[in-house]
Amino acid sequence: MRHPDEPRPLRRSTVAAAGLAIALAVAPTGAVAEDSISIDSATLGGLTARAIGPAVMSGRITTVDAVPGDTVTVYVGAATGGVWKSTDTGLTFSPVFDDYPQSIGAVRIDPSAPETVWVGTGEPWTRNSVSVGHGVYKTTDGGKTWELKGLEDTERIAQIRVHPEDSDTVYVCALGHLWNANEERGLFKTTDGGETWEKILYVDENTGCADLDMDSQEPDVLYAAMWQFRRQPDFFESGGPGSGLYKSTDGGATWTELTEGLPAGDKGRIAVAVAPSRPSRVYANVEAEETALYRSDDLGATWEKVNASFNVTARPFYFSRLVVDPTDYQTVYKPALFLGISTDGGESFTSFLSGVTGGGVHSDHHALWVNPEDRNNLILGTDGGLYVSQDQGHTFRHVRALPVSQFYRVSVDDEIPYNVYGGLQDNGSWMGPSRAPGGIENKDWRGIGFGDGFCAYRDPGDPDYVYSEYQGGQIQRLHLPTGELREIKPYPPAGAEEYRFNWNTPIAFSPHEKGAMYFGAQKLLRSRDHGESWEEISPDLTTDDPRWQRQKESGGLSIDNSTAENHTTIYAISESPVEAGVIWVGTDDGNVQVTRDGGETWTNVVDNIPGLPERRWITDVNASPHEGGTALVTVDGHRTGQMDTWVFETTDYGATWRSLATDDLEGYALVAQQDLENPDLLFLGTEHGLWLSLDHGGQWARFEGGMPKMVGVRDMVIQPREGDLVVATHGRGVYILDDLTPLRNLTAEILAQDVALLPTRPAEMVIPSFAWPFSGYGEYTGSNPSEAAEIAYYLKRRHVFGDLKIEVYDADGELLKTVPGSKRRGINRVSWPMRLPPPKVPPATNLVPAFEGPRALEGPYTIKLIKGKETLTGQVELVPDPRTPHSAEDRHLQQETALELYRMLEQMTYLVDALVDLRDQARSRAEAIDRARTAERLEAYADELEDFRSDLVSTSEAGWLSGDEKLRERIGALYGGVNSYTGRPTKSQLDRLEILRGQLEESFTRWEGLAAKREEHSRALERAGLEPLVLLTREAWEEREE
Amino acid sequence: MNHRIAKGLAAVCALVLVALPLAAQEPTIEDLIQKNLEAKGGRDAWEGIETARITGTMSFGPQEAPFAYEWKAPNKVRIEFTLQGMTGVQAFDGEGGWALMPFMGKTEPEKMAPEDAAQMKNEADFRGPLLNPEEKGYTLEYAGEEEVEGTPAYKIKVTNEDGDISYVYLDKEYYVEIQRVDERTIRGQEVVSTASIGDYKEVDGVMIPHSTEIKVSGAPEGASQVMSFEKVELNVDLADDRFAMPETSAPAEGEMAEGEGGEEPPK
Repeated sequence: MRHPDEPRPLRRSTVAAAGLAIALAVAPTGAVAEDSISIDSATLGGLTARAIGPAVMSGRITTVDAVPGDTVTVYVGAATGGVWKSTDTGLTFSPVFDDYPQSIGAVRIDPSAPETVWVGTGEPWTRNSVSVGHGVYKTTDGGKTWELKGLEDTERIAQIRVHPEDSDTVYVCALGHLWNANEERGLFKTTDGGETWEKILYVDENTGCADLDMDSQEPDVLYAAMWQFRRQPDFFESGGPGSGLYKSTDGGATWTELTEGLPAGDKGRIAVAVAPSRPSRVYANVEAEETALYRSDDLGATWEKVNASFNVTARPFYFSRLVVDPTDYQTVYKPALFLGISTDGGESFTSFLSGVTGGGVHSDHHALWVNPEDRNNLILGTDGGLYVSQDQGHTFRHVRALPVSQFYRVSVDDEIPYNVYGGLQDNGSWMGPSRAPGGIENKDWRGIGFGDGFCAYRDPGDPDYVYSEYQGGQIQRLHLPTGELREIKPYPPAGAEEYRFNWNTPIAFSPHEKGAMYFGAQKLLRSRDHGESWEEISPDLTTDDPRWQRQKESGGLSIDNSTAENHTTIYAISESPVEAGVIWVGTDDGNVQVTRDGGETWTNVVDNIPGLPERRWITDVNASPHEGGTALVTVDGHRTGQMDTWVFETTDYGATWRSLATDDLEGYALVAQQDLENPDLLFLGTEHGLWLSLDHGGQWARFEGGMPKMVGVRDMVIQPREGDLVVATHGRGVYILDDLTPLRNLTAEILAQDVALLPTRPAEMVIPSFAWPFSGYGEYTGSNPSEAAEIAYYLKRRHVFGDLKIEVYDADGELLKTVPGSKRRGINRVSWPMRLPPPKVPPATNLVPAFEGPRALEGPYTIKLIKGKETLTGQVELVPDPRTPHSAEDRHLQQETALELYRMLEQMTYLVDALVDLRDQARSRAEAIDRARTAERLEAYADELEDFRSDLVSTSEAGWLSGDEKLRERIGALYGGVNSYTGRPTKSQLDRLEILRGQLEESFTRWEGLAAKREEHSRALERAGLEPLVLLTREAWEEREE
Repeated sequence: MNHRIAKGLAAVCALVLVALPLAAQEPTIEDLIQKNLEAKGGRDAWEGIETARITGTMSFGPQEAPFAYEWKAPNKVRIEFTLQGMTGVQAFDGEGGWALMPFMGKTEPEKMAPEDAAQMKNEADFRGPLLNPEEKGYTLEYAGEEEVEGTPAYKIKVTNEDGDISYVYLDKEYYVEIQRVDERTIRGQEVVSTASIGDYKEVDGVMIPHSTEIKVSGAPEGASQVMSFEKVELNVDLADDRFAMPETSAPAEGEMAEGEGGEEPPK
């Protein structure tokens, strides 16, 4: 079926037409299938979310590899932010892995083919908040395209090594599942570039491969660290009989466990590294009852314990890398809480803690690359992003171009522009604007709390206060004007049980009582005085099962009680915005509790949810903005190895529930949100993306516009005034989908149409802000919202043939502007900058500040969407910037003044064009005529006209620095001055306008006199049989300009 | 903006040809070329195009400017755009590039840097790499099906004689180009421009796109340049010296190509 817009028949010969007929006969149609109105990512594709970062604190980096050279090419793997590439030695970075899982475990560049890069997904630093991967990927074109090469069920990959001479031989060291047993783990080898894999080292279903190194001189000599580990919702265990260090000398065909000199008994996580410059030297950091660094000088046969200092023993499950200097076997690096540097073969380490190096760098180090061509050049990956040193770790530059920030929760205030608040994994709590001059830069963000950050809120009852928290319920209050931070943690009454707070403790504000704040321990707490005091408004809402309260014993061989394993706590709080007293609570141990009387009585309704296993983590409760009894709940089983997407809805206060999940969805569910206006429009965040449903959960489509496809979405909020969806990702910062109006109106009826206009919110005529534009590269800058009027429409199919444009008409029906249309299938959004086209300006030898047209006047405008033969009519509304300090009268005067100058520039353009036209006629007639005196007179006339021109416009070839300012330049400069401001022009400007208008009128008077002289010359020309001089009239000029 | 203009035009003008019977399953490059040319008016018609002139409007945000694109087989191109009545020129004469940018008082043309000239050369193939690719030094490979903004498309990898890679995407239903991606390395760094192509209309028996939107890697989010074609003329008279670098000054007072053809640049 041909598209109706397509101009059907090309005029062709019969023979050629037959060829066309063949082509038509085989052309796929697809039109019938589309009638079922399924929605997919492309349906939403013209709506793009904008990233606002930030990168000021960045986020956890798991792995780094680089290609040395005059310019270093760097690949960085982030814990939950994908793979980034720099081709300028780490100044700027671009994401190269946005269509794939964002949790990265290992990145390895093929040493013999640097455009080939292997990425193992799934982070190996198995903290409580770790994400999941999905196999190993390979690029052969430097990251432009990737291919999944299998090992999908390994969940996390700790290390990859590529044979230095054989690109097809690759080893993948896979940890396997963290939360349950599985068999696809251990060490895998391919000899055919990843087409097939052989598991060459395997212990059992609870033990994975944690590290792997290769002898630089004998690539068949391999050292592999095997690790037994398991995480549960309230517990982590590192170590067991499965752990051990193994060696192969035949490329992995056979293995020997290395034990001589290593600790006996259960071991935990082991890091292993061979000295490239002397492969007989091998280092191993071994977690055991007594964790220590060991060293071998005989290829691993025997080992000597050399160091058990703080940095060597700290948190082995989280810090387990050793890097040996490429040229000095005695220099070894231990990235851990700090960067430990040893120059004596590991016997002693200097660090920020114990020595003189490495201050000013975020703690918690996971990755280090040492440049083999310049050993002073280090690239270090930490919990707070990437650092580059040029002096072997004495000083570091923080890379401020990596927006891999790991938000947990997000909120907004109601300022103009509104601010965004949130807390981040190991990177505190921050607030930043949703719009800033020149874009949202790192410098626009303000730190509002330290530690691991989670919830952060502006106090609706007193905007001087901002609340944030750090791990385990450490709530704090910042006084914005002074910056003073106050701890406001609740404590239980005398004799009562201590409060249990989740790692990520929920804070919520009442929509009914301004300033009333909820805080979740095992009981729900409320403060009505900015945190000065707290009251309990519930009993223990959790299971309070002591079997699940083991955080103090958590860690395995190395006790690790950071509050990350706190359990049987409240995790989600939501009060109904439409029915006071209805409060929902979700707990990490699987309870959904609701009160309808403000906390007097509570009911656990989780058993009413069909098909839900016990004790699954309630990640979110979203009380409906429309109905008091309605709520959405998301449930997450990944901490028991269950990755299903669970989202449920009740409409009767929890008595009954129905699942809203479909097979479309992917990733365990973390947050759900019902739209504030259209109850059928739902948003869902999972570990693998942002999802939208237009029909209340009947169908879900992944939202991919401007966002990484599989980024983990932890939280979201709708800014009610703007109708913006603000999305907190754990790994790529905050995204904002501006103006939900088109989505709110994308009904089934619209989806069934071939083309339809969609409404948009009134367009604010944002006051332009000054921004210094010369900050160079290397600083991440988030996008501002559009400062144009957005026009949205829906196309059932891509537009290919004929016109697609939008015409904008004013109230008088005059066409102001034609905007080119975009053509994609689904929603399209195009911008009208709310200005007339730029003014016509007479040519000269420099430019005047008249590149943009005057602003359109406030009010409604008719738009016509023209698609081929179809025309759809709609409206956009222009409204003033709500911050404007200018009265309507003054704004109107500005617009009228700019328009007056606009018209003057146009009049002047006509004048100069007519003058030049007459001058050139005179010159050409002078050349053509054989009467010397007439020719002379014509030349003189042309010169006179040219003199006049040089009085009107700059003609100096010195150009921009000539100072040659004529009437054109004066009107142009005044236009620029008036047009760049949104309020009343200055008195000086208005006075100047009068003067320049007078000068322009005088110029026209002078022109009339000069033009009249053409009659005399024309008579002489006619006497000589030549064409007379013809005046270019305004009408003829306008026609020419059309 | 100058290079972007040129880039956009070339992207829009990426048109194609060749002919063979249809394959049952995966299309061959010959199939795709054949169908593309048939969809756009036929190989003969395209081979018959020796010159072209396009005039229209380019817009980027609130700014816009008229432009004119002139092309002459095999590889000459001249692009003009007018700002405040002054006309800038960029041209490639088949061997080298030159530019005239009179906006700041400079009225003499300047020779283009080689990397800029290479970009202009890229714009100098109006008929595109799918028409007689081997004659023009292109290597074409079918690169599979891929969606372009949700629309199924056939992807063709184009490698030019300098080793630069472009991808041309043909709408799976209509076989006309709907997107072109150019990957170019400039002083060691890669710049990728993506052109969305559409609004096809018939001109003298061939289908010519009348709109393109270009996004360049590294540009701010949402920043793009749209070229809208108002008039497309084929086989107009264009003298070779329109493309050659003038020895003296070039257009000064806003005279753009107006369809007469063949006249020398104003001096």
